[in-house]
Amino acid sequence: MRLTLFPAALVALAPASAFAVHYLSAEQAQKLMFPDAERFELRDVAADAGSTHAGDAPMQVRIARRGDATLGYVVVDEVVGKFERITYAVGLNRDGSVRQVEVMDYRESHGHEIRLPAWRRQFEGKTVASAIRVGEDIANISGATLSCQHVTDGVRRIVARIDALRRSGSLG
Amino acid sequence: MRRTPLSIAVSTALLGAALSMPAHAQTPTELELARKLDRLAAELAEVKAQLATLRAQGGNAGTAAAASEAGTATRAAPAPATADAAPAAGRPTRAELPTRAELAEPATVLTSYGEINYTRPTKAPQDAQVDLRRFVLGFQHRMDSKTRLVAELEVEHAVSSADDPGEVALEQAFVERELGARLAARAGLFLIPAGMLNENHEPTAYYGVHRNFVETAIIPSTWREVGVQLIGNLDNGLTIQGGLSTGFDVGKWDATSTEGAESPLGAIHQEGAQARARNLAVFGAINWRGVPGLLVGGSAFSGAASHSQPLLPSARVSLWDLHARWSPGRWDLSSVYARGSISNTAALNATLVGNPTLIPERFDGWYLQGAYRLWSQGDYVLSPFVRLERFNTARDYADLGAGLTPQAAGTERVTTVGVNFLVGQGVVLKADVQRFGLVSANNRVNLGLGWSF
Repeated sequence: MRLTLFPAALVALAPASAFAVHYLSAEQAQKLMFPDAERFELRDVAADAGSTHAGDAPMQVRIARRGDATLGYVVVDEVVGKFERITYAVGLNRDGSVRQVEVMDYRESHGHEIRLPAWRRQFEGKTVASAIRVGEDIANISGATLSCQHVTDGVRRIVARIDALRRSGSLG
Repeated sequence: MRRTPLSIAVSTALLGAALSMPAHAQTPTELELARKLDRLAAELAEVKAQLATLRAQGGNAGTAAAASEAGTATRAAPAPATADAAPAAGRPTRAELPTRAELAEPATVLTSYGEINYTRPTKAPQDAQVDLRRFVLGFQHRMDSKTRLVAELEVEHAVSSADDPGEVALEQAFVERELGARLAARAGLFLIPAGMLNENHEPTAYYGVHRNFVETAIIPSTWREVGVQLIGNLDNGLTIQGGLSTGFDVGKWDATSTEGAESPLGAIHQEGAQARARNLAVFGAINWRGVPGLLVGGSAFSGAASHSQPLLPSARVSLWDLHARWSPGRWDLSSVYARGSISNTAALNATLVGNPTLIPERFDGWYLQGAYRLWSQGDYVLSPFVRLERFNTARDYADLGAGLTPQAAGTERVTTVGVNFLVGQGVVLKADVQRFGLVSANNRVNLGLGWSF
């Protein structure tokens, strides 16, 4: 009986936090990636536009602007890790290379390490020509293989799609 | 209508604007001021009405739209023209909005893993066997954004009845509560954090048809206890787990069977089945994943195991391990060393002398494993691997006097060479050859099919 009362007491004493595993909002993520941007224009992209992957969903691109200049792009996306959704943001430079990846929400029991800078930094500078695959140019996190793979696959799809959109001139 | 922080912020902003108006107006008459206030009041009413409409558009859509308005765009939500317009102070906090997960995700997720193996002893092909080794059905049910129940029900060897070898068991049944961004608590029947396999034991997660010997014979597999556990995830890549749980029962040792020689702790584990709990155990594990591709960690467990049973001398079971895994590029290299001990075995064994399997004082083992992602195309990945193991389930016996003390067991040396062939992320086909240095009669060839989702 003492065993079951113990965690109940712990839970009662724990400080209440607003949302345990919510790390960043989209605004915070885009500001972090493009601190010089004056504004972010939202551009809705249809499911088939720039799509390189069957099953691509409509996407929203946040175009970072300063005056008339485009500084880059931010895409917020969600993938399923092992059981739960992971929300993350990919920041891309004007040339389509990855500037930064930020994990906004992570709810799995394991694999919180994907939000650590050391893991996310692996994506910096990757382009459509890069493999962007776990076990090739992105190292795995032991015990969180599916989270790593799914976020990596998501980043690869976003990089490919932004590249296609950029080339077709649809991101102006 | 309940006033939300958004409406309060909008009102405050508008009122603030109204109050600051006189300062900007050159010579405001009272009449002009009153008109402005009237206009602002009307605008405020309009904003309130719009808010009410937004909310009324059904719980889900309304909240998604509100979230989107605040700049938290979701794929499904309509987008505003600019995302940086909303002032931070006006954002509804996430605690007040249903989370995205609550809106869009099913609260209950069904999971499963299983393996079907073919094993052929090379020196005794007549003993070749096919076994539906494990079939596990599990679910994870999220009760709210911070509380979930995780359960796994396992059937081993396909059929469980009085005449069949199978067994049905609960492998996990625990509640997990997030106490903060970096801290969670578990209570119930959970897997003990020991070695690398125990908590990640799905067939897609390890190389070879059968689980390695170090993490089945020395560290029991799948090892679970009933207890409470705290899990901390630190920003430097450290995961720290620790808690209090049930432990082993040395009273279960069957000296007439060879089970204890195969896995000393596997023979006396309790698995939450009317587990003796006069004595409890403490356990802890530290794992560091601060560098991508690297895991370094260790664990320790210790608990008294006699539970004040009559005529049973007191004894303590302890087990610790060190492990590391490094996966640079296509390589996947790992190693585990585990060592266990049981105290006071001289007294425990005194009444068992003459039986074939006495209780060892010490048992240990290690392995080195290297795998290489040789070929991949689309969903298919082929990874050959080699594993070298050394383990001894009875490294030492306590002294019982000349002629009575059993001889320490020999150290088994197993070399496993094989391939894992992944089909997508959830299915694996495996093949390997195992060579036993000590008891070569155990040499075998294995084929396996596994899945996990």
